[in-house]
Amino acid sequence: MSGCPVENCYAPDATCALGNLLLKNCPNWGGQEKLSAQPSPQNGDEIVLPWSGSALGKSDVAFITGRKSPLTVGILGAENAGKTSLLAAWYLLIGRGAKISSRHTFSGSFTLSGWEAVARSMQWRPGVQPEFPPHTSTRGTREKGLLHLSFKEDSNLLRDYLFADAPGLWFQRWAINEEAPDAQGARWVVQNADVFILTADCAALAGTERGSARSAIQLLARRLSANLHGRPVVLAWTKSDIAIADTMRQAVLDAVSSQIPDFIEISVSMQTPVGQDTGVGVGLTDLLRQLLETRRLKATLPASRAKKDDPLFLFGARS
Amino acid sequence: MSQSAQSMLLVGESGVGKTHFGAQLLKRLLNSNGRFRMNGAATNLEPFEATMECLNDGRSAAHTPTSTYVDSEWPIADAGGREFTLIWPDYGGEQVKNLLDTRRVPAEWRDRVMTTSAWILMLRLHQLRVSDDLLSKPLASLVNSTAGEASETELLKLSDQARMVELLQVLLYLRGGGVGQVNDIPQLCILLSCWDELGQTGTPVSILSNQLPMFYQFVSSNWPEPIIMGLSALERPLDNKVSDEEYVTKGPEHFGYIVTQDGSTSTDLTIPLDVLNGAAK
Repeated sequence: MSGCPVENCYAPDATCALGNLLLKNCPNWGGQEKLSAQPSPQNGDEIVLPWSGSALGKSDVAFITGRKSPLTVGILGAENAGKTSLLAAWYLLIGRGAKISSRHTFSGSFTLSGWEAVARSMQWRPGVQPEFPPHTSTRGTREKGLLHLSFKEDSNLLRDYLFADAPGLWFQRWAINEEAPDAQGARWVVQNADVFILTADCAALAGTERGSARSAIQLLARRLSANLHGRPVVLAWTKSDIAIADTMRQAVLDAVSSQIPDFIEISVSMQTPVGQDTGVGVGLTDLLRQLLETRRLKATLPASRAKKDDPLFLFGARS
Repeated sequence: MSQSAQSMLLVGESGVGKTHFGAQLLKRLLNSNGRFRMNGAATNLEPFEATMECLNDGRSAAHTPTSTYVDSEWPIADAGGREFTLIWPDYGGEQVKNLLDTRRVPAEWRDRVMTTSAWILMLRLHQLRVSDDLLSKPLASLVNSTAGEASETELLKLSDQARMVELLQVLLYLRGGGVGQVNDIPQLCILLSCWDELGQTGTPVSILSNQLPMFYQFVSSNWPEPIIMGLSALERPLDNKVSDEEYVTKGPEHFGYIVTQDGSTSTDLTIPLDVLNGAAK
């Protein structure tokens, strides 16, 4: 039996895009059943859950955006800069109940399998040696997509967050050529994100190829600034337990600040310094808290010259 | 006196002790010396017959077959004379696992979720754990570990607390009619079963929040007043072949206890049914 004829509806593999919990109640699906003599793979009384638990694709996001517009976080950086490790560390910290913020309580996720896939490599399991998450290749088996988290704020307000887990190669291509055909994913992230994390990899900036690492950040910052349109940026120094030369740090800071005047700087590391609380790393909760507190830019209306109080007559009124 | 038909959804994975609790609860209700008592005759005691036989003989019962799902209606009343019809389900815990594995919810399960006024989730903490990771146990401690490859099945498996969060998310989704917002959220009671095997002291809330912190945050974020209690339906482990002499002599109704929210212990196994009172408010 073929699928539903409605565009962007993946029934019977997923829930009806029009929101019919039972496919037999959907007029489009009913037509399909009449057209086909084949039995439906779905029992007409079964409900197919609209989320698989894996990272969300662009079409899947509608399920979450339907209730409220989520805040999308774009994590930009070169290959092996620690972008996926950041995501993995946040999930592990939430999993172990680390205090992210006094105002936010974890309220669910529709991509738990996706988070687990990212974090699994960092977990200790019998007979399996933990390591930092494998490189997110453009052809990797782990699904690239958006990872979802929900938090309740102290006001009992539910907020949804989407985190884009994208390979660094996409951003490297995009930094060099905005129209690069293999940078489509990077363009989507930059177009749709509400807040950006620009990663500066301390290991690369202290390594033998530190010159090209510095240059890559400069290029990325320049490209991002041209597409930023006032959205907030956090510069995250990843693997900050590795020392970099002051001149190198200053060069990166100069490059970013010359392009992006207002940005927040946070150093993160998975290594907890001796004598501090174990198991929280450095700056990881600060960075996540910063994201949770971020608000989407609001439209600013032009000032009105009207003297009336009634908002319906503020504009176009003769003063 | 008012009569209220309150049905309850009892959710628990395989091996958490749903049937043992059902049989022990039934005994307590029939003895009429707890917070709730049987107020007439239950429609069908068949699902518990074999289990009660085993317990009378001081042995544990066999596993409930996967395909079984039997609802048994119990007319009960509380000390104040409020009457309820408790619909107690008995089923193989694999059905819960199948919901998550297949991502498809059979019509019967959907109806139960939609119509029940209270949910009791049984968790056996001894079976659930949070793994250490590179943050909690850094690579520096990697001295004696043996490297290996994770199997494909292992890679697809959700961790214990993620699986429990997902289970409640599925129930909430079904309850909300698919829109993701639930207005008439049923009262939730979490029973930490086989409490005697935990060997920990503390209130059920503190133990749950320590052992499954993400799950606890999820619950407290979505339910304003979840009821979290400890349960030891049998009080001590029983063998399925060798009889426990004290059980045979005294009778199973003299065993088992509840650990209430404040950490105190009570032999009244009907206390969790108070969740129905919350639902009836």
